[in-house]
Amino acid sequence: MISCLTFRNAFAPGTESPEVLEHVRACDPCLDHAAAIDPDIMFRALGGENLVPPGGVDAFVDDVMREVRLRSTEHTLSSARRGTLVSWPRRLAVAATLAAGLSGALLVWQHDRSVVPVPVQLAAVHPAVVSQARLTTKPVIESYDSANATIVEVPSEGASDTRIVMIFDDSLPADL
Amino acid sequence: MKRYVIAILLVLMTCGAALAEPAADGKALTVRTYQFKYKDADKAAAVIKSLMSTEGSLSIQPAANSLVVTDHPDNLKQISAALLNFDAPAQAFKLSVRLISAAKTEGSPRVPDELRDVAPKLAMLRYNSFEDLGSIEVEGHEGEPGLVDMQSGYRADFRIGEYDPASDSIKVNDFRLSKLQGAHKDELAQLLKTSLNLKLGQTVILGASKASGSQRALMLVVVARR
Repeated sequence: MISCLTFRNAFAPGTESPEVLEHVRACDPCLDHAAAIDPDIMFRALGGENLVPPGGVDAFVDDVMREVRLRSTEHTLSSARRGTLVSWPRRLAVAATLAAGLSGALLVWQHDRSVVPVPVQLAAVHPAVVSQARLTTKPVIESYDSANATIVEVPSEGASDTRIVMIFDDSLPADL
Repeated sequence: MKRYVIAILLVLMTCGAALAEPAADGKALTVRTYQFKYKDADKAAAVIKSLMSTEGSLSIQPAANSLVVTDHPDNLKQISAALLNFDAPAQAFKLSVRLISAAKTEGSPRVPDELRDVAPKLAMLRYNSFEDLGSIEVEGHEGEPGLVDMQSGYRADFRIGEYDPASDSIKVNDFRLSKLQGAHKDELAQLLKTSLNLKLGQTVILGASKASGSQRALMLVVVARR
């Protein structure tokens, strides 16, 4: 790098000498001295012409926009791919629906299979089964044609034991 | 991957539970249709009602005189047997009727020899003196009327109902006991009217009096047999 003295001697407004511009970038007192005479020297010293990308600004902008579109497409594809992977609660819901549907279908199928009407010929039933039928007990008096009567059935000891039933009816004559 | 395995296991467990329940013995319901030749389907419904489970159901088809029963196979076996007995041609039954006048007396008990078999039972009702008012045996088929006239002036008329195989009993509908009154014993006064269920072979003593403290009572000893 040139010395301050050499800089002061070589400096002229509008200079584009690389040595002068390099000195300005490194020496603040010389920068102040030069800026007082040529204010643009500071910007020239920054090397603004080198910031123009290769191929020009338009090509650079095209490259940037292409990159932006590429990233945007990648993001869209990534989102779509993520959409195919069902979230955990959604998977549970699908599994539960599947299970409920399958269970319902199975139950309906079982029920349908079990309730197929089967016509039965009564004569085809073996008489021996009759004895297995559960016998029920009915009251001796099923109905009595008087509202004022009291009917008392004496409990019997066994099914074949004599059953005693008394009717106390105020409407009956005393001399029965 | 782990989540998928859990989800599949969940589905398999639910399906397994659904399959396991109906697989239990006797749990499945079965439907059977019974068609009747001699009896009415609606009366058959009353016969099998007590044999049905709480899950069972039935429907009557009057046009075809048939009954559609849904129940467990074990219950249907009993129902089939009961209906086999029920749907038979009108059966003949014998009805033995004895009429006894019973009284509570202070003196010595009076028990005729022909009433000694029932006297101990009647004594349970605190009657100790008895008089035989007559006995008669009448035979009839299901659905037929019956009439019994006693020499003592009493008359019993009734209609033999249907045999119920579930309770092994015969129904006696509109049983009316009347007494001939008047100077010439030509006025018939109805004493009581009732419907009875008589278990075959079982002696039934049907007593009637004005009040529980009455000194006199009329006793009907009825036995139904095939």
